[in-house]
Parts: sequence; structure tokens; C-alpha cells
Amino acid sequence: MRTFLVFLLLSVACGIAAAAESIILQRADGEVSIRHGVAEVWNKVARGDLLRPNDTIRTGKGGNVVLLVQLGTALASKRITLPPHVIVDMSDIRDLTQEELMLKLTMERVRGSSYQWKNDGMAIPDAAVVHGANDAAPVPLSENDIQTGHLQLNGVRVLYENGFFASCVLRAMEVFRLYPALGASFEHRLMLAEAMEKANLRGEALAEYGSVSRLEGLTPGQQQQVQSRLQTLRK
Amino acid sequence: MGVTVIGTMTYSQSLVDARALTLGAYAPAVRDTREFPANPAGLVGIRDWDFSITTYTGTEPESFGFVFHALSFGKRLYEDGALALRYAPGTEMTFVVPTTLFIGEGNIPASIDREIRYREPFALGFGHRILPSLSAGFGIRFRRDEVLDTRYTLVIRDTISYPASSPVTYASAAWLADLGFQWKAADRLNVSALARNLLSFRNGDTGDPLDAYLLSTSPAAELGLGYTPLSGLSLFASASTRGNGALSAEWLAGPELSIRGSLFMDRNDASFMQAFSAGFGWTYEFLDIDAGYLRFFNRASHTGTTPAASFDPADISNLDLNPYSRDRLALSVKVIFGRVRQSLAHIEEVKLFGGIYPSSYEMLAYQPIGKVRVKNISAKPIHAKASFFVERVMDAPTESQPAYILPDQEVEIPLTAVFNEQVKRVQTLTVREGNVFVNATPAEEYDDKQQTRVLFHGKNAWNGDVNTLRFFVTPDDPAILRYSRDVLLQYRDSLSGISGMLERFTKARVLINTFAGRLLYVSDPKQSADFVQYPSETLTTLGGDCDDMTVCFASLLSSIGVSTAFVDVLPPERPADGHIFLLFDTGVEPRYGSHVSDNPKRYVVRRNQAGVETLWLPIETTMITKGFDQAWTRGAQRYFDDVEVGLGLVKGWVRIVDVN
Repeated sequence: MRTFLVFLLLSVACGIAAAAESIILQRADGEVSIRHGVAEVWNKVARGDLLRPNDTIRTGKGGNVVLLVQLGTALASKRITLPPHVIVDMSDIRDLTQEELMLKLTMERVRGSSYQWKNDGMAIPDAAVVHGANDAAPVPLSENDIQTGHLQLNGVRVLYENGFFASCVLRAMEVFRLYPALGASFEHRLMLAEAMEKANLRGEALAEYGSVSRLEGLTPGQQQQVQSRLQTLRK
Repeated sequence: MGVTVIGTMTYSQSLVDARALTLGAYAPAVRDTREFPANPAGLVGIRDWDFSITTYTGTEPESFGFVFHALSFGKRLYEDGALALRYAPGTEMTFVVPTTLFIGEGNIPASIDREIRYREPFALGFGHRILPSLSAGFGIRFRRDEVLDTRYTLVIRDTISYPASSPVTYASAAWLADLGFQWKAADRLNVSALARNLLSFRNGDTGDPLDAYLLSTSPAAELGLGYTPLSGLSLFASASTRGNGALSAEWLAGPELSIRGSLFMDRNDASFMQAFSAGFGWTYEFLDIDAGYLRFFNRASHTGTTPAASFDPADISNLDLNPYSRDRLALSVKVIFGRVRQSLAHIEEVKLFGGIYPSSYEMLAYQPIGKVRVKNISAKPIHAKASFFVERVMDAPTESQPAYILPDQEVEIPLTAVFNEQVKRVQTLTVREGNVFVNATPAEEYDDKQQTRVLFHGKNAWNGDVNTLRFFVTPDDPAILRYSRDVLLQYRDSLSGISGMLERFTKARVLINTFAGRLLYVSDPKQSADFVQYPSETLTTLGGDCDDMTVCFASLLSSIGVSTAFVDVLPPERPADGHIFLLFDTGVEPRYGSHVSDNPKRYVVRRNQAGVETLWLPIETTMITKGFDQAWTRGAQRYFDDVEVGLGLVKGWVRIVDVN
């Protein structure tokens, strides 16, 4: 019996480590919409809908969603509850391996080695030639809607609370890129640092905690909280 | 006539070269005119003209000092054959038999001393390489055996009669023919075999007293081995059916200096371990200087005198080294002349990695097209360079970096090639002769050369590697520049009010939409995967497959200053679904992404060449006839499925190659 339980736990653990086999919308209350793939329109959802990995769920006021995630094994399934005001990509509901996470982070930092040949003097030129000055007055652009960024960060927290730390890290970094203003939020940056720590990204976590400690307007309590984590990690 | 003591006047009987003197087992080591009669097969090593001269001196106080010993000339007659001639006035042994007849009480000698003289003044050799690893040589030696004696006659004049003596010479000449072989049995092993006196012809005087002193002309066999256990160290051994042999070693102490030593053995000598020799050689390009010292172990013999009872001409198997030879010091100089020379390096194998794709010919100046395996066949370390040349499509041979190669060592040298523009005019699959050269000698054209067939693909051929697809991108092609300029001019008014941040995005949309409207067809992406149209050809034909479209749009976008990248998808479980599509840089910063799309899945945040993160749009070029938005939607969907959901980039089955 004990052996069976160990086997069962291992099966569940392994299942979670893989991508979700299917995601079923078990319950949807309030404002809930879905966006399929790369489409730009949001559609209504219905209970029992089978969601695809490239779908995105958004909850609004009073919105509440329960997802039944079927994992790699028949025995393994997980319920995830989405509170109001979140945006979650279904592709994030999975656990990446440490190697996959590290590679993704590395690739985001480095554009790749495909520029190496430029050093060999074999660059293909850009043929554009600009003559004279552009006198046209620059048209100011507005930044991305911060509200959408908040929804996405709330979704990131859902990932964190459900143990999808790798997805949480990657998504949070993506949101901060699209919504730089949100990077000043102590609690969200702290969540990112903690997710990095839990995803075994010690170096990245140290850097992120260091960055958080330099945020403006931190309270003494927040500073102490960050320093405490830094000291623990440095041991 | 009784003989009690014989004095030997050894003008010479040494091995006729200082190198040969110090490499007693010389037959496997012959490689030029130096002591070529030891094995004429070694003459194949002659470069062109080869000249060597030797002098020597005895080490005893009564020695004559340095005397001229021999002069040899050699000439390579053709690629695999060489001839040599030696004139060796110093190759001579003279035995003096003191007088034994006295007249009266005054100890007046009644006769002059008898001299027994052996000379071998001429030798001729011819070597021919039968196979790359086997050469044979034929040699003729001329030997002259002489006895200078006194003839007595009784002179009767009136009432007086008295004995009178007059010198008389008895001479016999012998022509001796040898046959030798050198065989490179293995990488580090040389074998030599010789038949001495295989043919012999004798003419001249016969009878007493000459017959008693004639040297043997009976045949004999010799076997020699040369082995290189370590780079720079060679060991030699030889043995003869006459009962003599030698063990020798040669060590390359430096690029130009050799240290040598030998042990000589002869069962006919007073002691079996007969002698040792030591010396060195110094080489500089066309000049070789060798010095050697020979010393016999048995100090009681080899003194210059021999008891008559122990003197036996049969002990003299050759005039070079025999029981009557003496210690000596030899010095030789060898000089080579002429243009043809001994190669220092040899091409063992040429291997080309594949055909030449004219489209990516620039890359071949940096990436090897093949390799050449080069062997150092000289006795010293070399720096060898390989070069590759194909007429008409190259202006000059492309030379590799020099490779340091130790003697007998092999090294693989990569071949690169700088082609000229002519290569892009190759229309279809063509085979041409390529020349691979190896050069290890300064101021010489090459040491070895080998021809190889080079396959040239047509100018539109593509090897399927997405890294080389970018070479089809030609933004500076006048046809491309003209087209993009005309389109932008046409939409100049509508583009004028666009924000600078969105300028590239909008221009790209206009350009793509305009050209998409002109396209007549886009064929199945699986078709002609190894054939890619140049953008100007696509502009003319107004059609193509995904590769053609991708490079065409990359060229159009690049021509207006938009950076592009290829996305190469090769699903591991569905390799037949391999596909290429395009990414282009909008130049829009991520924080303004909503101006491009509300759905972040429609763009990719990437760093551009300047290291700034911007939004890049995936474009499925096979959907381009349906317009920019459709091509973008399909491209974004594909990118998201393959890269984000499938983790293709992380797992390596999706590659992004930046074009510019």
C-alpha cells in the first residue's frame, strides 16, 4: 500500500511536470471571455468548453472561473481557480523543466548567434538611404493600457499560487516589458523574485531582489523583507 | 715469394661520404648521390642536379692530411628516375710487401717493394620509382686489382753478366653490377634489399702473382631496415651474407641538425664488434654538410700493418670497410642545383565536403569547402600551406594558414576558397577541375599538387540550410531598390502622417500588400526545396514557393531599412513539414505594442541588432497573396504554436536566423 502511494505521488508529480493534456472550463461565473490564438477579439465562454493551449481567458467584474486541468496521466488532474480581473494564457499552465526555463531566459537575453557572420564581413546591407532631414513632427504614441497590464499581472499571481513558477517568471518578465510602469510595483517585483527563487533560479533571484531593494519609496518593512531574502540566498 | 709483413697504405677505404660513414646501415637511408652505390634505388630521391664531394683524413700522426676522396654527380632524368656517376680517385687500398731478396753482404735490396693495389674509381647508378612505395636501382662499379712487382732478367754483355730488374704491373679490371631496392613497407618502416656483384666481368692479366691477390667478385646479398619509432628519430640495421652488418641511429636535434651514430660488425675482423662511428649533419635548403668519425674497437689491428700470414684478400668484401681499414675523419658537402626539387610535403588525400553553391560563395572564404591530408616527407619539421584553385571562377589560389608538421607526420589542413563573381554565372550543375596545392618550401611554387573534381551547383541551387538562404537576399539589387522606392513614392502622402515609431511597420505593410497584389501564384512550399529564386527573378516571374517569397520579402524590407530574420521550422516528428517564414522588425518598443496589436501573441519581443527590444512580426509568406494581415495572422499563429507552445526554439527544432 505504501509503495502504491509513493507511486501515485510520483505519477502526479511527473504529470504536473509535463504540459497539460487538456483544460476544461468547469465553471464560469460573471464576466468571462476567451480569445483564441492570435485573434484580437474576445468571445464568450460556456461551461464545459475545452480550451486549447493557445487560448487566453480573461475575467472581469465578478468573474470567476474554475479550470479542470487534465495532466499527463489519467490519475492526475488539477483544479485552478481564476479570480476576477485576471488574464491567463492557457499555454502558461504547465511546468517547464529547469533546462527549458534556463534556455528560454537565455534566449530572451541574447538574440542568438546568428549575428556571428556579421563579424566575417559578410553582412547583407540595408539598402535604405535617407536623404535630408525628416521634418515631419513626431506623432506622440500612447503606451499600452495599464489596466490590461494589471489583469495580466493578476494572472501571473494565479500561476504563482498554483505552483507554475517557471511560467510565472517568464510571464511576469513579459508583462514588465510591455508595461514598464508596473515594474515599480513592489509586491509584483517581489512576487517575481520569489518565483525565481522557487524555480531554482538563485542567481536571477538575487539580482531581482537586489533590483527590488533599489526601488524608490520602499517602506522600512519592505526593505527589511528584501534584505532578509537576500541574506538567506547569499548563505 | 714469401711475405712476412704487409704495410697498408690506406688512401681511402672509407664509406665514401660522411653521412654514410655515420650511418653504417646505409642502404635503407640512401636518398641522393651520397654513397649511392650502397643502394642505387635511393637515387630516386634526387631533386634535380645533385653534387657531392668528400674529403677525409686519417687520425694517425703519419696520415696524409685531408685528401680528395670522391666526387659524385646526379641528375633526375624524369619524374621517377635519376642517374648518378661517381668518380672516386680516393677509393683505393694499397698494400706494400717489403722486399725480401737481398744481394751480397750489403743488404742491398735486390727487388723493389711489391704493391698490391685495389681501386674502385668509377661507379654508375640508376634509380627508378616503380610504385610510390617501391623503387629499384641498378649500379655498376669499376674495380681494378693491380700487383706491381719486379721482373728479374740476367743481362749478358761481353764477358759480364748481371741480374737486372724492371718493374712490371699485373692488372685485372672488374665490372661489377648491383641491384637494389627500397620499399616503404609501412608508414614508419623502410626495407632495403641488395644483390651485390649480381653480374661481374673481369678482364686483364691472369696467373701468378695476380691471382693470389684478386678480390672476390662472388655475389652477396644485403638486407636493411629503417624504422622511425618516434618523430625525429630513425633507426637502421643492415646485414650481409658476407658476415658484416651495422646498427645505426639518426636523431633530428633541430630543424637543420642531425646527430648520427653507428656500430659496425664483421665476423672477418679481429673482433666481431668492429667499429663505431659518430657524426652530425647540417642542412640548409640546398646545402648539406656532414662530418663523421670512425674508430675501430680492436686497437691491435687496423694499425696500418698486417702480418703476412693473416693477410687474406678474401676478407676484403669491399673497399669501404674491411679488416684493414683505419680510423678516420670524413667531411662531405652536398649541393643541389636546378629547379626540380625534392618535395617536403606530399598530398595524401583531398576531400571536398560537397558541391559549391554559388549563392553562398562568400561564405566559402571563411568556411572550409574540404580538407587536404598532408604528410611531411622530409627529414625535418615543416610549415605547410594548402591552397585551392579553380580556373575562371577564382582569381588566385586561396591559401590556408600554415600548419606545423613534424617529419613523417600527417595533418589535415582545411581548404577555403575565395571565388569571384563568375561563380554566380554557373547556371546548372557543372563539374570542373580543381587544383589543390601544398607548399612547404619558401620561394617555391608548390611541393605537391593534386587535381580534384569540383561540383558546382547552379546559381539558384540551395543546400537547404537556412543559414545560407540569406545569401539569396539582395536588398541592393537595382530591381529591388527600384520597386520598393516606387511603391513608397506611390504611398508617400498616406505615409507622411505616421508616427516615427510606426513608420517601419506601416511601410512594411504597404510594401507587402502592394507586391502581394501583383503576385500571380505561390506554389506548394514543398516544391523545389533545393531551388531558390533570386528576388529580382521573383519580381519578374511574380510567383514562387515559400523560400522564394521569404527571400524576396526579406530583400524588399531590407531595401527600406527594415531588419528581417528567417524562422526555420523542422518538426522532429514531422520533418516533411519543414517550413520557413519571415520575421521583420517593426522598430516599435514593447510598451507601445498595443498600436501594433492588442494581442501580444501576434508579435515577438526580440532584441534588434542594437540590443534594443522591439516588436517583430511573423509573416507567413505563402499566405501573402491574401494580404498582409492574413499572412501576419498565419505567421503569428504558427510562431506561437511552434515556439511558445511547442518550445521549438528551446528544443532546437526552430531556428531564427537574422538576415541583416
